[in-house]
Amino acid sequence: MIRKSVALVILAILGLLVMGGLAELPLPAERMSESVTSRHILSEGVSDTGAVNLVTAVLFDYRGFDTLGEATVIFAAAAGVVLLFFRHDLPTSRLGLSSLAKRSIMVLAPFVFVTGLYIVMFGHVTPGGGFQGGVVWATLTILLCIVYGTAFEWRFINTRTKTLLESLGAIAFILLGLVGIYRGDFFLSNIAAGFRAGVPGELTSGGAIPLLNLAIGLKVAAGLALIFYNMVKKDVG
Amino acid sequence: MHESMLTGILLVFLLVTAVFAVATRYVLHAVLSLSIFGILLSVLFVMYQAPDVAMAEAVVGAGLMTALFVVTISKTTNRDDSA
Repeated sequence: MIRKSVALVILAILGLLVMGGLAELPLPAERMSESVTSRHILSEGVSDTGAVNLVTAVLFDYRGFDTLGEATVIFAAAAGVVLLFFRHDLPTSRLGLSSLAKRSIMVLAPFVFVTGLYIVMFGHVTPGGGFQGGVVWATLTILLCIVYGTAFEWRFINTRTKTLLESLGAIAFILLGLVGIYRGDFFLSNIAAGFRAGVPGELTSGGAIPLLNLAIGLKVAAGLALIFYNMVKKDVG
Repeated sequence: MHESMLTGILLVFLLVTAVFAVATRYVLHAVLSLSIFGILLSVLFVMYQAPDVAMAEAVVGAGLMTALFVVTISKTTNRDDSA
């Protein structure tokens, strides 16, 4: 009881401190007019990168190296989970849900897949990008895994294919980055490395950004599906 | 007026789901409440004009994390427990 009340008091003090700190922060609108970076990105971003969606322009052009780091984190997580759960035995569940669920998921699956593809490929035009679309793809494999049982998933896209896709995405991202160095510019440089900016707003605009998005999408989808599949396949009970 | 009211309602429900997720005894209830939290948060992100973040939050927070958590719970609890 005493410990609980002491914890509550400490929590209240910490909360007040955080509130005080937050109150001192300047509003985003105020900082926007001061910051050189945000003004530059807002005014020159489209002509710099050819991407209309400036969030994607920042993620895959100005801060492309950070995105490589994020992708590496997912790669490490997937590798760790596979290492923990690795086993040679085959899937356990063949049952899945009722045939009604199976039928309706087969009607739904192509639409989910195309939605993911759209989010990935149009990441530089509309909201979205490789991460979001990749997670949509991963969710599709999870749905199939739940509805059809893991045996279906195993036959459909087995673990080896997923590993291949994930590594392929990572290698493609790094190779696209190395093109910049080959052309005599920085790692992951986009328009300066000779990728065509195109007409802003079209699918082929944005230089290497759609390709980078596709690489990241494949990588994220395969990585997350690998994580889920490896957690699910070994039935302890 | 309407928009600020909607924001307020969403914020209150965010608080309710977050507190429920921490306070509930059953892990599964906490996971489901966290998934509702994710959906509400993504709606809020859309209202604050951050559609990219909203998409990521909806897909990851409400979709993927729920699946992973439910699998983890079903692997780590006893069959007899109704947790």
